[in-house]
Amino acid sequence: MTDRAAGSVRNIAWASYLRSYGLWVLAAVAIFALPHVFDSRANQSMFGQMGIFVVFALSYNMLLGQSGMLSFGHAVYFGFAGFISVHVMRIIESGFAFPVVLLPLFGAAAGLALGIIFGSFSTRRAGTVFAMISLGIAELVGALAFFIGFFGGEEGISGDRMSGPSLPGLSLGPQIQVYYVIAAWTLVAALLMYAITRTPLGRMANAVRDNPERAEFIGYNTQRVRFRMFALSGMFAGVAGALFAIQFEFLQFNNIGVAASGSVLLMTFIGGVGFFMGPILGAILVTFLELELVNVTQAWLLYFGLFFVLMVMFVPAGLAGLIMRHQPIWRAGILHKLAPAYGLALVPSLIFAVGAIGLIEIIYFTSTRAGLNTVMSVYTITFDAVKPLPWIIAGVVAAGGFVLCRLTFPTVRKVWDEVFLEAMAKLNR
Amino acid sequence: MNPPAAIHPPTAIQLTDVRKSFGRTEIIRGVSLEIRKGERHAIIGPNGGGKSTLFNLISGKFPVSHGTIKLNGEDVTNARPFEINRRGLSRSFQVTNIFPRLNVYENVRCSVLWSLGYKYSFWNDLNRLGDVKERTEEVLEQIGLTARRHIPAAVLSYAEQRALEIGITIAGGADVILFDEPTAGMSRGETEHAVNLIRTLSKDKTLVIVEHDMGVVFDLADRISVLVYGEILTTGAPEEVRANKAVQEAYLGVDA
Repeated sequence: MTDRAAGSVRNIAWASYLRSYGLWVLAAVAIFALPHVFDSRANQSMFGQMGIFVVFALSYNMLLGQSGMLSFGHAVYFGFAGFISVHVMRIIESGFAFPVVLLPLFGAAAGLALGIIFGSFSTRRAGTVFAMISLGIAELVGALAFFIGFFGGEEGISGDRMSGPSLPGLSLGPQIQVYYVIAAWTLVAALLMYAITRTPLGRMANAVRDNPERAEFIGYNTQRVRFRMFALSGMFAGVAGALFAIQFEFLQFNNIGVAASGSVLLMTFIGGVGFFMGPILGAILVTFLELELVNVTQAWLLYFGLFFVLMVMFVPAGLAGLIMRHQPIWRAGILHKLAPAYGLALVPSLIFAVGAIGLIEIIYFTSTRAGLNTVMSVYTITFDAVKPLPWIIAGVVAAGGFVLCRLTFPTVRKVWDEVFLEAMAKLNR
Repeated sequence: MNPPAAIHPPTAIQLTDVRKSFGRTEIIRGVSLEIRKGERHAIIGPNGGGKSTLFNLISGKFPVSHGTIKLNGEDVTNARPFEINRRGLSRSFQVTNIFPRLNVYENVRCSVLWSLGYKYSFWNDLNRLGDVKERTEEVLEQIGLTARRHIPAAVLSYAEQRALEIGITIAGGADVILFDEPTAGMSRGETEHAVNLIRTLSKDKTLVIVEHDMGVVFDLADRISVLVYGEILTTGAPEEVRANKAVQEAYLGVDA
């Protein structure tokens, strides 16, 4: 091999490393800058929460996306580690000299230990059996949390993150400091989880997900593969739980049960289980919606449910899948050819959304209003919600938008397929 | 009277009175068979004769109902598939059995990992394992899929998937290899290619093959066993089997 060839090989190695980890550098910069750009306390708190759920959702995807295990009980590991962390915080308060900043180490140990215990029998099978066992465990632990002292019952338990020894300049009083602690742990945990996807265990988890039978015939005990992924996933969920404890200084039975487990499933699925960045996108978006929609509408849970159903029906690959499908088109440099089609799709979608939102708001208002007040306003239009006209208008707009969607989407799809084929042809040349 | 040991090479697989029932139906009805180290052994017989079931018993997919199976002298009766694989036996499947969402390279790489001792490691960076890379690329080259390495296995052509199936089977370096109808559904040209591939890859190894194509069988095998309704009718060199009256009646039919 000539020197130049050797050099170019080295360059290629570097380039592949940059491609793999360059995004991480970018993410680190964004994470650092974010709370300075949006510098309100509420925003900083929201960013912290996003970080917590990014770790949680990524740990969940080690099961669902990477190993093909659909769990309805992942909050058990998150919550248990969170409770442990609050307890440790209380012990710190009464004299144990341990920096709160390092609580995620306790969280990781707690999540790992519980993951080993429950994983030892629940990972024998994937599929429905695993899903049902996970649901059972979540119900069980959720119920226990309600009346066992350790979990503080209905009132929950709280701690004080400002107690104990603190690193210089890191009292954990100001929200911004909490944010940076969470951000640092998020980055470390995410990097580790990414690294695991590129190890023998990580790859064999994919193989076991795709075809457990064949995996057994190339030397792998599929249960051992699932079990190890499960335990590691519990460990990272534990890190997230400890971060939650640091941020909120409070945990309650509803942080550990089925509902909390459903929430992380939602995030991960919306983000997309097929790509590493999927759960990151999902956790950020869902956290944002949860915190912001509340300020916009009281019916936010309805919208949230609708959003989830639409995603599952029309974008089963999630946000990340949607983005990645555009990658070849983008690489071929013909992304702009999609613009007219997307414009065409946008108009009826908006019409449908306007009608549907109107309808949901009216329904929500009439079914929950207190007293006899029937006057409400949507889109700054004030009207009487018990008269038929507003219902009819909203219904007609929604139905019209839906019909228009049905009419235009096939065309959009056709254009999309053509552009995609053109891109593939260009790239293969 | 006894022939010297030298002309009886050691045994790779030894089945002793192996039986398998599903419910009340006995599919394998007392098979005793000795497959010698280094031989190419074909198992033929009519459909439903139990050939695939026999493979599933030897490779650990199903437990036996009765009898013992030894691999290289060790008892592996009712061992799990991965245990048998780790002791040096690998098999292919009649219906293509690959990792559909992984690309060709990953399919082969997964099959290499255990044999090189990486087990369940979650601390080695796959892309930095030189021995894994080397072995994977060697196998890709052998099965002729180097140029297709980045393609998801699910979208390969049928013949390519069959080649990948063979690649996954041999990648771990097992010294006893079971091929279950490796040329099923292939054109004449593809079959010829696959047979050459199998011949090359099974050099210095023990090969057991189930095959319907008699041309392939008589071309490839050192010895042939005829399995009819769960029993071994006869075992012998190709010309003996071809000349055997009972085989002609039971299986080869009038044109033999």
